[in-house]
Amino acid sequence: MAIIEVENLVKTYKILQKQDGLIGYFKNLVRPKYKELTAVKGINFNIEEGELVGYIGENGAGKSTTIKMLTGLLTPTSGKIVVNGIVPYEKRIENNKSIGAVFGQKTQLWWDLPVIESFRLIKQMYKLPDGEYRKNLKKFTQILELEELLDKQVKNLSLGQKMRCEIAATFLHNPKIVYLDEPTIGLDVFVKENIRKFIKDINREKKTTVILTTHDLKDIEDVCNRIILLDQGEIIYDGDKQKFKDIYGKYVFAELVVSNKNGKLSDTITLNGCEIVEETEKSIKIKFNHEETTIMQILNTISNHCVVEDIHMREAELEDILKEIYKGAHKC
Amino acid sequence: MLRTIFALAKMHLNEHNIYKSNFYLFSFNRLIEVVVYIFVWQAIYYQTGDAGGFTLSQMITYYILVVSINPIVLWGINEDMGHSIRTGRINKELLNPISYFKYYFGMNLGEIAFAVIVGIAVFVVCAIFWGVTLPVSFLNFIIFLVLILLGIPITFFLQMIAGTVGFYSGSIWGIQILRKAVISIFAGVIAPITLFPAWFQALSNYLPFQELIYTPINIWIGEFDMSQIVFVLIKQVIWIVILYIIAKKFFEHAVKKITINGG
Repeated sequence: MAIIEVENLVKTYKILQKQDGLIGYFKNLVRPKYKELTAVKGINFNIEEGELVGYIGENGAGKSTTIKMLTGLLTPTSGKIVVNGIVPYEKRIENNKSIGAVFGQKTQLWWDLPVIESFRLIKQMYKLPDGEYRKNLKKFTQILELEELLDKQVKNLSLGQKMRCEIAATFLHNPKIVYLDEPTIGLDVFVKENIRKFIKDINREKKTTVILTTHDLKDIEDVCNRIILLDQGEIIYDGDKQKFKDIYGKYVFAELVVSNKNGKLSDTITLNGCEIVEETEKSIKIKFNHEETTIMQILNTISNHCVVEDIHMREAELEDILKEIYKGAHKC
Repeated sequence: MLRTIFALAKMHLNEHNIYKSNFYLFSFNRLIEVVVYIFVWQAIYYQTGDAGGFTLSQMITYYILVVSINPIVLWGINEDMGHSIRTGRINKELLNPISYFKYYFGMNLGEIAFAVIVGIAVFVVCAIFWGVTLPVSFLNFIIFLVLILLGIPITFFLQMIAGTVGFYSGSIWGIQILRKAVISIFAGVIAPITLFPAWFQALSNYLPFQELIYTPINIWIGEFDMSQIVFVLIKQVIWIVILYIIAKKFFEHAVKKITINGG
């Protein structure tokens, strides 16, 4: 039985269309015009306990809307959501007891008080037993390096410090499901790594289900084992991360350092299964498909027109794949 | 549940403790206020030989009690709630495992605890300066306390109603001022209610506000007709129920608005 079931989920917003000027102002008062915007268009997915799911998509793809519906903060226009056996928007508080959530940089910690006091309140609110609380606190303090932060006022913490505390606060009551909406935004590499490690550790130990939205694909690469890719309110890929890369990531990128080049190569030659991405006097950047051609064939053709001095090659990363998909190069 | 509410109250009180100067500033403010009121009524008394039907010492006690009690009645979590709506922090608060009402009721208790501390400090200082008349009997003092306690849920629900307006208007500044003004007039802060027109007094008899400050003080100084006490107590309980229902329904409506339109 899946811990999260989503069926034909639709969310349509009514947006007030503001009309300009003084006359427009009165028109707004008397007969406001609404425009309908469908943010989520009938999506389906099931998530099993203990999965680490990367929920990705461009800005405005409907990620946050979905997360808000899963937490019960938004009521769907139509469709079914069952989280942990509960319909979240009907029994929000019941649902709240077994989830945790981070929304960007909005904090649940008490601004003026030392961090530890917010933790104590969480313990009290979720009725967490003493032993469990102490065990979690000790573990989290160690992984997230909170030792020196606990007695500091939240307002005196830096962004990275605050986020580490926030993450700890979110996992403190042993939630079954955690929604992380852009938890690493604006953080430096070390803090990001720290947080990723923490998420993986807790998942391994407690089978916490984590749903992560992020624009930093390293987060996904490092943490998640499943990807749900959303585009304009529709799911265009749902499945294993590695398979995703296998299917869409056949591309290899290569940068050739050349000399004695005559004119623009892209004008004079045609390469099968290879595309010239960028070309300057001394270098050519190409992208080609494994299955259609090889680097030797390409070099053979190119070396007729210039001298190739050096080659750098790299496999397509998640980011490249997504760029391709958003450009519409793939039909999923 | 009770322990969670007390934990929230303690947190909120601790927030006040962080800014120790607040205590001195707020208390000093109260003292200035009481000095102004007392000077005005002394002037009136020496010119007319009457202080609104009270003796001068009763009037001084009246105002000392007014400034000591009115933080309990007027302060609260309204600003916090407005802030929570404006910044979107409410989304996080709606994900708490306890209801938004209980969460804020807890914080409100913390605010009231702070108001009581300020109130007692002001009362003691004033008592030393001007002298106050003590409650006419121990029973009167107990009833005085009961009415003050009954006022706590009433002012809390009023704040929730005012705060909920913020969902629709985006700002609670205006409604806040209105709330404070209505309470100040009807509770007898501006002047004892006996000085107002008869129709105003009749209206006020059915509203819950005069029992927040005016009636308890009259009980303290022995100017209250005790045969009325049962009516007053029942009235307050009925108002608590009415305001609770209004606040709850109104708030649920507002939350539905957020959950359907995304705020």
